[in-house]
Amino acid sequence: MNAEPATETVPASPGLDLLRVPVIGRFLQWRRSRRVMQAVLLLVALAMIVHGFWGPQLASRNLATLLTWVHYRGVLVLVLLVAGNLFCMACPFMLPRDLARRFFKPVLKWPRRLRNKGFAVVWFIGVLFAYELFDLWGSPWWTAWLIVGYFSAALLVDALFKNASFCKYVCPIGQFNFVASTLSPLEVKVRDHDTCASCRTLDCIKGTRAEEDNTLVLQRGCELALFQPAKTGNMDCTFCLDCVYACPHDNIAIATRLPGSELWEDPRRSGIGRFSTRTDLAVLALLFTFGALLNAFGMVSPVYAVQAWLAERMGTTAEAPVLGTLFLLALVVEPLLLIGGAAYLTRRVTGSSEKLLSVTTRFAYALIPLGFGVWLSHYSFHLLTGLWTFVPVVQQVLLDLGIPLFGSPMWHLTGVPQELVLPLEFGFLSLGALGSLLVAYRIAARDHPERPVAAFVPWAVLSFMLWLAALWLLNQPMEMRGTFLGS
Amino acid sequence: MVLLVVGCRPAPDTASDIAVTWQVAPDPPRIGQTTVTVALADSLRRPIREARVTLKGTMTHPGMAPVLAETHEVAPGRYQATLDLTMGGDWVLLLQATLPDGRSVQRQKALRGIRAP
Repeated sequence: MNAEPATETVPASPGLDLLRVPVIGRFLQWRRSRRVMQAVLLLVALAMIVHGFWGPQLASRNLATLLTWVHYRGVLVLVLLVAGNLFCMACPFMLPRDLARRFFKPVLKWPRRLRNKGFAVVWFIGVLFAYELFDLWGSPWWTAWLIVGYFSAALLVDALFKNASFCKYVCPIGQFNFVASTLSPLEVKVRDHDTCASCRTLDCIKGTRAEEDNTLVLQRGCELALFQPAKTGNMDCTFCLDCVYACPHDNIAIATRLPGSELWEDPRRSGIGRFSTRTDLAVLALLFTFGALLNAFGMVSPVYAVQAWLAERMGTTAEAPVLGTLFLLALVVEPLLLIGGAAYLTRRVTGSSEKLLSVTTRFAYALIPLGFGVWLSHYSFHLLTGLWTFVPVVQQVLLDLGIPLFGSPMWHLTGVPQELVLPLEFGFLSLGALGSLLVAYRIAARDHPERPVAAFVPWAVLSFMLWLAALWLLNQPMEMRGTFLGS
Repeated sequence: MVLLVVGCRPAPDTASDIAVTWQVAPDPPRIGQTTVTVALADSLRRPIREARVTLKGTMTHPGMAPVLAETHEVAPGRYQATLDLTMGGDWVLLLQATLPDGRSVQRQKALRGIRAP
């Protein structure tokens, strides 16, 4: 490959600015807006925890399992698709953490060796594994503990370490949101770079402090080290809007952009560096994609045949080793073979002498749209087909509390018929595949301008294969079992 | 939150002395039409007649469409309904019965590993 550093992207003027839209813009510019959203989600989370521990232990009748595995996941991916990382913006895990920081200031810096996505990748896999091993989807009790665990982890990490260490280096949901939001149509970005060029206070990153007491922080700057003039894209951005509130020039927008364009741009990004040199980010991107396929595979009939075969081969009836093997195959062996193969072919056809790892790192981001298509397809299915199932659960909760406000539970309520949802799923998968083809081509053209098509073809074939795999998954009968090998 | 804790305890079964036996056909159950027969008997093993018994099938995965059916009494104390188990996986059958004396019975039965015929 011609391993020249990519030319810096010329910042484009922002498109539509959400902060200038009537009502919404005014609300978001209000410094308490995030607190309001967080408080609402905190109340919901607390209700889920309580119901998860003390409510009926049937998943379909419990707020913890229903709202987490049906509604939260589905709404999350749809909001990421049509807007941006609004769930990080409204994250309730930050409320106890911010409250605690009023009394206890963290003194440690996040360890330098862990200032990458390695730790987060481990936790991401851990949550996916726990989901399958403990059948979290079917257990209100375990789901409640998961929520409590998240709150506790956020509190512990950010009580010990400065800035937003939990968000940037740990939170699995956050990493999912960061990767997916590379495809979102909104981005927090500078309005006018000339204004930033003349700024001497750099409030967007440093924050503002009281004149009379330098230790008193009036407004935080970005806790994820994203310096606005050098920020590109949504990676690591929690949409917290601290930069918006801190900027004395009102020069930061929540602006529209071409979704996915940041995946083929390779400037040096503030707080991140270049995507092309961040192997850990590339691993996260691949985990996002192959994890989507694995998570969907765990819900269809063939997975039980695979597990039975593995169990027989391994001579065990214990679920953990069999599941661990499946994870190893799906998240390590399979990507190594497929991605490695595509990278090898790219190097071969372009005559490049670049290391395979370097080629892989550059092109890994091309699979994110396809991965997002799979997550969208899967989670939107559950959301839409079970859309109204929370209604009778809420009715029952109110009845149990002696508040017959909404009458007897309407247990017959479900959602959109499956036959209407399936075309939408197909659409999401196909859009994802098309997105991956586009990103792969743009990366190929950027890095191999003399032979872009040749460099692109291996990744196009790979994207097509994964799209076919996802389509096959889509057409498999669902079979959600909480038992292993029929026990 | 305290009210939610207090209020969300499952309603006590007011007829815990009632024995419920289940019969599911086909056995093992498969996706599709499933005949469920429940027998209600009191502590002296006498069949309980003229109870109002409803059955609901719900998957262990949240958000899936439940199936509901009213039973009819096919023999003294034996109530039967046909449920359409629409998907493979684990199901739970929920029985809600109102006895002639006004007491209520709630029971559930797990159906694991429902598969295609």
